[in-house]
Amino acid sequence: MVSPVEEQEKYLHDALGVVKAQAFHMKRALDKNKLMDALKNASAMLSELRTSLLSPKSYYELYMAITDELRHMELYLVDEFQRGRKVHDLYELVQYAGNIVPRLYLLITVGLVYIKTNSALRRDLLKDLVEMCRGVQHPLRGLFLRNYLLQCTRNVLPDTPDIEGDNPEGTVKDSIDFVLMNFAEMNKLWVRMQHQGHSRDRQAREREREELRILVGTNLVRLSQLESVTLEKYQKMVLPGILEQVVSCRDAIAQEYLMECIIQVFPDEFHIQTLNAFLKSCAELESGVNVKNIVISLMERLAAFSQRSDSIGGEGTQILQEVQLFEVFSNQVSSIIANRQYLPPEDMVALQVALVNLALKCYPDRIDYIDKVMLSSVEIFQRLGLEHLESHTPVAKELQKLLKIPLDTYNDILVILKLKHYAGLMQHLDYYGRKALSIYILNNTLENETIVPSAEEAEQALTLLNTLVTDKNEHPVGEMDMEELMEEQCLLARFIHQLKSDVPDEHYLILQAAKKILVTGGPLRIKYTLPPLVFQAYQLAYKYRKLKDERWEKKCTKIFQFCHQTITALVKAELAELPLRLFLQGALAIDRIAFENHETVAYEFMSQAFSLYEDEISDSKAQLAAITLIVGTLEQISCFSEENAEPLRTQCALAASKLLKKPDQCRGVATCSHLFWSGKTQASNGEEGHDGKRVVECLKKGLRIAKQCMDISVQVQLFVELLNHYIFFFEKGNEQVDVEILNQLIKKIKEELANLENSDETEQITKHFSNTLAHLKLRMESPEGDTPDAYKGIKLNPEETADETKEVAKKVEAK
Amino acid sequence: MHAITYLRNMASRKKTLLKVIILGDSSVGKTSLMNQYVNRKFTNQYKATIGADFLTKELTVDDRTVTMQIWDTAGQERFQSLGVAFYRGADCCVLVFDVTAPNTFKSLDSWRDEFLIQASPREPENFPFVLLGNKVDLEPRAISSKRAQQWCQSKNNIPYFETSAKEGLNVEQAFMAIAKNALAQQNSTVDLYNEFPDQIKLTNTQKPSGGSGCCQ
Repeated sequence: MVSPVEEQEKYLHDALGVVKAQAFHMKRALDKNKLMDALKNASAMLSELRTSLLSPKSYYELYMAITDELRHMELYLVDEFQRGRKVHDLYELVQYAGNIVPRLYLLITVGLVYIKTNSALRRDLLKDLVEMCRGVQHPLRGLFLRNYLLQCTRNVLPDTPDIEGDNPEGTVKDSIDFVLMNFAEMNKLWVRMQHQGHSRDRQAREREREELRILVGTNLVRLSQLESVTLEKYQKMVLPGILEQVVSCRDAIAQEYLMECIIQVFPDEFHIQTLNAFLKSCAELESGVNVKNIVISLMERLAAFSQRSDSIGGEGTQILQEVQLFEVFSNQVSSIIANRQYLPPEDMVALQVALVNLALKCYPDRIDYIDKVMLSSVEIFQRLGLEHLESHTPVAKELQKLLKIPLDTYNDILVILKLKHYAGLMQHLDYYGRKALSIYILNNTLENETIVPSAEEAEQALTLLNTLVTDKNEHPVGEMDMEELMEEQCLLARFIHQLKSDVPDEHYLILQAAKKILVTGGPLRIKYTLPPLVFQAYQLAYKYRKLKDERWEKKCTKIFQFCHQTITALVKAELAELPLRLFLQGALAIDRIAFENHETVAYEFMSQAFSLYEDEISDSKAQLAAITLIVGTLEQISCFSEENAEPLRTQCALAASKLLKKPDQCRGVATCSHLFWSGKTQASNGEEGHDGKRVVECLKKGLRIAKQCMDISVQVQLFVELLNHYIFFFEKGNEQVDVEILNQLIKKIKEELANLENSDETEQITKHFSNTLAHLKLRMESPEGDTPDAYKGIKLNPEETADETKEVAKKVEAK
Repeated sequence: MHAITYLRNMASRKKTLLKVIILGDSSVGKTSLMNQYVNRKFTNQYKATIGADFLTKELTVDDRTVTMQIWDTAGQERFQSLGVAFYRGADCCVLVFDVTAPNTFKSLDSWRDEFLIQASPREPENFPFVLLGNKVDLEPRAISSKRAQQWCQSKNNIPYFETSAKEGLNVEQAFMAIAKNALAQQNSTVDLYNEFPDQIKLTNTQKPSGGSGCCQ
């Protein structure tokens, strides 16, 4: 068995063998000036083109080999003619060739020689040749024969403007007629192929037709090469002639290719002036034609042209202003969409995508054009009744593309917000599609650090992003992916920081507007989205303090009211630790900003934090963390009068001592001790309180609690921690803390430490302790300040455990 | 031997036909270069070439009249649906790139390789190429003349010309070099007629073609 490919190769090889042999003889005969013999050889060579065995590609190869050789004949004849050795009746003579295919090839060759040597024959001969070629009606042979005609006549087509009177040399009009006629005939042959042979071979036949298409297209190339084809001639003769043939052939393959071909081979300057005619024909093409690709191809070409001529400057820009490129395309696209029943929706959207691209490239400052496309897209969807397009469908993908273009071009969410129909168009995506787009918008805004500077725009933006912002969506069934939610919400939270204005009053309005929308997000979202608002509000309050405009104090009061409400929304969402921290942060800010009546407001924030602590936080670890934060905050605040400060301090101490676990109690109480030392109040004029007695009371209570711990290791650990507190206050000059207390505690720790088993924990504690002692030692050796003798009497090495201490000291040195 | 002597005589007496192919990415200026050389015309309008087409130009090289057939080709592959049979029998291949477009320079290797595969000349390593860096009238330049020359050196010293089809710069000189290289190529392979015995082979191979007959 021989495969079809091998078979083709063999047929071709055989044919090429004959060509080589005949060509050799032909050239030898020419050298000997035996023209008749040479013609005979040429005819034999050309007869190979009568084959029906070859595929288009193989036939093309054979055709190339033969026409290459025929050129030697042509060269010879031109040479002879120019030397005056004219062969009489040659044109008639070759017509005696036995078969039509070789006869016509020879006729064209000889005809060309006649034209070259006597231009007065040109017009009539061209007409004659193009007519005579009708003699071959076999599609493949006919197409190649006419291609030969087209190739041979390239250099001799008349290319001069029309002139009055009879003109045997011909004018450009004769060339146009000649090529258009050849084009029409070739197209007919090409279309006829579709209807020959068995229907089961259709695919193969269509593939062959696709291969042959350039032969037909070459006619259009030839027309585009005529320099005397002015815009006017193109408008009146060339384009109508081509379009008429294209539309009337009613063959989808031919139409799609030829329209594309027109776009490619003729210059932009012509296209711009003939848009309506071209696009109108597009609407009349067969239903199988991909009109979308044709129109898009033209738009892309003109958009590129616009950019090119922009850079060169001059006429291109002017033409674009004269011809309403966008309007023309917009209207024609609408009519194509309205009239072509079988156009799939994704193609309709793809056309809109191309329109937007065109508008952006040619008219970058005309946002209204983009809006117009958005509107007409909305209308299309409404007419088709398409809602909630599923993400994976082609039409949804095209729509995503459409919606991303303006963002990718301007990199500015504010421009998107200016588009009146953007949000409406976005609504046609399904939930997932809208969410994906929202994330895309967020990322773009963050990457470009776009600021949203007004309440109105903030509101619009958050409404646009509502799939991320609110839980009032047509929620898709099934579990929510918490990790995904967290990622989205963090992104949104970062975006919220972009909502701000340099004008403080406007900034406040932005925050208010944003809050109104963000609170609809439900407990899962607001824990991410409200905190940035609160922090922004605190910053804004600081800004007002700096500005100190007329009503700044009232404004600050309002801001903290706003914060209070916002944090309360979080409380209502059954969150506790987060609002507690926000209240504390708020109390700190209020204290610093010191506006009118701020003490009351600060007290309110602190008491809110306390209530949260008492009512909502039950986990013991969280409780300790919370009380530590509360104490830390209170210690920092200086605006309270004694009347407010005292209950808060006492409350802290009480709460600490009521913690569930003993070690927590101990640590809490010890922390509280600092409130009485460095806490500031109005009573103390903002100075530290230095209530040494209360400090020691707290620490003693700590010691008592520590002793109640059953686990010795924990006990020792707490002792060491307390020792550190004691040393801190000792160094700060609390007279209630003396050397005696320190010595007792050091001794106690040493005793207990000796009883501990070796473990990682013990090692940790030992290290902590020895570091503490090392600190003391350092202080003793180089006492600072005005109490050089304060450290006297501290016994780092109680006698009983001298050895151990040495060991400790050694360790310290090693450090 | 007799055939070669005979042919040499003939070649000296008669006009020589040279076939030259221009290759390169789309819109590097292949058609413009050819038009500038043959018709001395240039237009800024962009028209894509589809398929392949030639113009002829007569010129005199070292006192010999030569007809040069210059094949302009489509840079976009989709416009070559019938394949590239016209590469065959070429005497010289002109590679063109746009000095302001780096991608067009990068494609040169693949154009050269593709040509050698499809045209399958007898001695691929000695087949004459000429490289043209076009659009030197434009700014900014992306490919330096040094870089282009290095590429040429790495390909067995291909001659290199920097041209502007728009201003006609170096076009004449470049095509003269192309013609000379093509002519040298044709002279060195003039013993093509030695292939004549093929015909004898042909009759041999035609015998078993009866095999296809029994399939009918």
